[in-house]
Amino acid sequence: MLRRLVALLALAGIFLATYLTLYKLGYIGTLSCSVGSCETVQTSRWATFLGLPVAAWGVGFYVLVFALATMWSVGSFAASPALGWALLLLTGWGVIFSGWLTYLELFVINAICQWCVVSAILAAVLFVLVVMERRRRVDSVRHEPGGHG
Amino acid sequence: MGKDRVGSNKGQRPGVVKSAGKSSNRAFYIAIAVVAVVGIAALTWLSTRSANRNVIQLDTSLPAVEAVGYVMGSPDAPVEVIEFADFECPGCAQFAILTAPDVKTRLVETGQIRLRLMDFPLPQHRNAWTASLSAACANEQGKFWEMHDAIFGSQDRWNTQATRNPLGVMVELARGIGLNVDQFKECVESRKYQPNIQAHLTEADRRGVRSTPSFIIGSRMIPGAIGYDTFKAYVDTALAEAAATGATRPTGTPQQGSDSANAAR
Repeated sequence: MLRRLVALLALAGIFLATYLTLYKLGYIGTLSCSVGSCETVQTSRWATFLGLPVAAWGVGFYVLVFALATMWSVGSFAASPALGWALLLLTGWGVIFSGWLTYLELFVINAICQWCVVSAILAAVLFVLVVMERRRRVDSVRHEPGGHG
Repeated sequence: MGKDRVGSNKGQRPGVVKSAGKSSNRAFYIAIAVVAVVGIAALTWLSTRSANRNVIQLDTSLPAVEAVGYVMGSPDAPVEVIEFADFECPGCAQFAILTAPDVKTRLVETGQIRLRLMDFPLPQHRNAWTASLSAACANEQGKFWEMHDAIFGSQDRWNTQATRNPLGVMVELARGIGLNVDQFKECVESRKYQPNIQAHLTEADRRGVRSTPSFIIGSRMIPGAIGYDTFKAYVDTALAEAAATGATRPTGTPQQGSDSANAAR
C-alpha cells in the first residue's frame, strides 16, 4: 500500500511541478500583485537551476519517482532491492533540494510561494513513506521464518 | 527474487492471492487515472482562466486611446522608467511609500530619469478601478501625484477588505488635497477616463506585464516592489546603455506628455 501511495503522490507532484513550470514560463496563472506571492520567488535568480526552471527539475523528479514507485508496486520488478535503494536516494535528494529551496524562500528571498512549499512537503512525505516501506520490509524479512529477501 | 515470491504465493493459496492482487491492482490503476484526470482538469482550468484575465469591465465600444500614463520629470531626462502599478496592490503601495520618495528626490528631480506611471487595476481588486478613475480625475485638475500619494497612503481605508464604497474615501482624499470636489465626483462617476485606463491595460498586455508593480527601466523589465538601491542599480545600467547608444527612451514608448493632454475628447 505504501508503495502505491508513493506512486500516487508522485503523480500528483508531477501536476504540481508542471503547474509551477508553466507559471514560471508565463503560460498559466493570473496577474498578480507581488507581495508574499509566487512572483517574488519565481522571478528570483534561484528559480533557475543549471539553465532550467527549478520547477522543471521538479517535474523530472516526480516523473522518475512515479515511474520507479509504480514498478515497485506492480509487476516483476516489485521485489528488486535496487528499486528501493534508488527511491530512497532519489527522494532523499528531493528532500535536501527542496529543503534548500525553502530555506532560500524563508531567509534569502523573504517570500513564500505556497505551491513550492506544498511541493517541499510532498517531497518530505515521499521520503518518509519510502523509509517506512523499506523498514517494514526489512522487519518482515527479519521476523518471518524463511522469509524471502 | 520476484520469481521466488510469485512461486511461493502460488504454492500457498494460488487462487486467492492472484485474484486479490488483480483487484487491488485495478484499484491502483483507477486511483492513478483519477489523480491524472483531476490534475489535467486543474491545469486546463488554470490555463483557460488566465486567458480570460482581461474580462474585467472592459468596454470595447469606447474610443481607442494611446497609452500615455502620468509623467513626472523632465522630457530631456536620459532614461525613462515606466511603472505599471495597481492602486489596490499592497506591493505597489509599499513601493510608493518606501521607495518612490527617494526615486523622486534623487533621480527624477536631479534630471537623471523621467518616471511614467501606467495604472493597471487587477481583476481581483474590486476597488482598484475606482481608485484609478479617481487618480485620473485628479490628474484632470493637475494634481495626479498628490492624489497618487493620498490613495496609496490610505490604501487600507478603501481597499476591498475595508469598504464597499471606495468612492466615499476618494472624495475625502480629493477634498484633502484641494480638488474641486463636485467636478471630481462628476468625473469619477461618469467614468470619463476609462478609455485611458483601458489603454494602459492593453499596453501592459502588449509588454507582457504579469504582476504589479513592474518597472521597465531601459531595456529591462523588473517585477516586484524593489527597494531604492536595486532601482538605482538598474537606472545606472540604463544610463550607461543610453550614453553608449544615444537612445533616450525605451523602445515603443508612447509620445511625450501625460494623459491630461491626451485625454481631451
